[in-house]
Amino acid sequence: MKKALTSLEEAAKLVKDGNLVTTGGATFHRVPMEFVRELVRQGKKNLNLVDREPAMDFDLLIGAGCVAKIRAGMLAFEVLGLAPNFRKKSEAREIITKEGACQPIIAGFRAAAMGLPSLPVKGMLGSDLLDISEEIGGYKQVEDPFTGEKMIAVRAIEPDVTVIHVQKADEYGNVRIEGPVYEDVIKAKAAKTVVVTAEELIPNSEFRKMPEATTLPHFIVDAVVEAQKGAYPCSCFNYYNADYDHIKGYLKASAKDQFKEYLDKYVYRREN
Amino acid sequence: MNNKIEIPDLMIYAMALEIKNFDTVLHGVSSPLPVLAMSVARKTNAPDMAYISGAEGVDPEVDRIYPSSFDTRLNRNAVAYFGLHEAFDLAQRGELNVMFLGAAQIDRYGNTNLSVIGDIDRPKVQLPGGAASAFLMPITPKVVVWLSRHSNRVFVEKVDFVTGQGYNNRPEEYKKNELVVISNLGVMNFKNPERVMQIQSYHPGHTVNEIKEKTGFDLLVAPDVAETPVPGPEIIELINNIDPDGVRWTEFR
Repeated sequence: MKKALTSLEEAAKLVKDGNLVTTGGATFHRVPMEFVRELVRQGKKNLNLVDREPAMDFDLLIGAGCVAKIRAGMLAFEVLGLAPNFRKKSEAREIITKEGACQPIIAGFRAAAMGLPSLPVKGMLGSDLLDISEEIGGYKQVEDPFTGEKMIAVRAIEPDVTVIHVQKADEYGNVRIEGPVYEDVIKAKAAKTVVVTAEELIPNSEFRKMPEATTLPHFIVDAVVEAQKGAYPCSCFNYYNADYDHIKGYLKASAKDQFKEYLDKYVYRREN
Repeated sequence: MNNKIEIPDLMIYAMALEIKNFDTVLHGVSSPLPVLAMSVARKTNAPDMAYISGAEGVDPEVDRIYPSSFDTRLNRNAVAYFGLHEAFDLAQRGELNVMFLGAAQIDRYGNTNLSVIGDIDRPKVQLPGGAASAFLMPITPKVVVWLSRHSNRVFVEKVDFVTGQGYNNRPEEYKKNELVVISNLGVMNFKNPERVMQIQSYHPGHTVNEIKEKTGFDLLVAPDVAETPVPGPEIIELINNIDPDGVRWTEFR
């Protein structure tokens, strides 16, 4: 086993300008927010972001000017409101938006995880979404060679970097996720490079006591970073709940044209 | 008529009645009404349903809802975890019986738009996206679309973009699947040979004419149109207990 433990700064350097990146979790839950904030601090540019149902992580990166292109099934702040920076920059055509759909995006990740160029899904036929042409995770109608059933083949989505936030990891990159796993395992297996931020580092011996609780083995993971509260203001199951007041504050700041102030306070942590 | 039944509670009850016992049911993101409807159904008409939460818990005991429908506290006392991707696989097998979906626009055939207002390449409004709509709408035996603001800006002659497929945009084999639309004014379905939207029931305090006036296309009326069933006090109490903060009101404001 190779040691994978590193600093947040070094891990974020694995993301290069223009990379295809996906993040773990779903909407406001177990999202690698501290890593996302570090991407902003490092001034990443032209990122190509893809995920099933992202929220604040993608909106923050868009607002900070790190993003060229978005592919998502849905990008919003659930009932709290629309994603302010996504909406603004998408309408101004400052970013390219290529809407996907949940199962096809997952199929794209699954194809890459299985080492396949594409994977078919049902549904989708008749939706205008099929006309949104796109190379990564793009669609083509195919016929099953055995039954003739018409399906949509989804091109593999192989992220340059997948970053997930988890409850527990060891210094080699063995990972234990508690509670809902979302598509984190699929996304990790699909990626060229995998970064894990963890609430807690635990000894390798703990993993050996209960290997069935290991969600990802070390050879899948390239970098491990200890990051307490690494999902904040999103939730981390068994550790803390989502801070909806903070998230509402983000929306309020964006609505009042105070997004820069939000970045200064919570991302750059500059004293005024 | 039972006075002072609030519209969200009427809608929640109407949504719950769409679930049959032993159904396997899923809710998605941004879904306070579906979460409450599934919780009500389990206590009333569908005690043996399989409840799959968008937060990934199976058969949880929901005692409170939050601004996020993926909040992990919604998995309280769940019997298992079942990922959304697994629930979507179930849908491909035809074994997910009911799904609840939202929309920003809907037309007479049940096409929904959650993508853009205006042109897709020059959107006037960038909407959040349809999430699982385009995947689940045609293949799921029953899809319930809930809409909290019934007006002719939402019920339109033609949607700006077909995110989810209505009956005129579905392959033949999926035309048998059911679509139900539950709004703040009434319950609509497509149970006619043309597979176009018709009023099945109007909520107490509202009328067929009002619903037709607030719809941007010619809405049919079911021959057996009636008033929407009203939830009893024990159901209202259940809803209030799970949602003391009124999260269900968010989309009505």
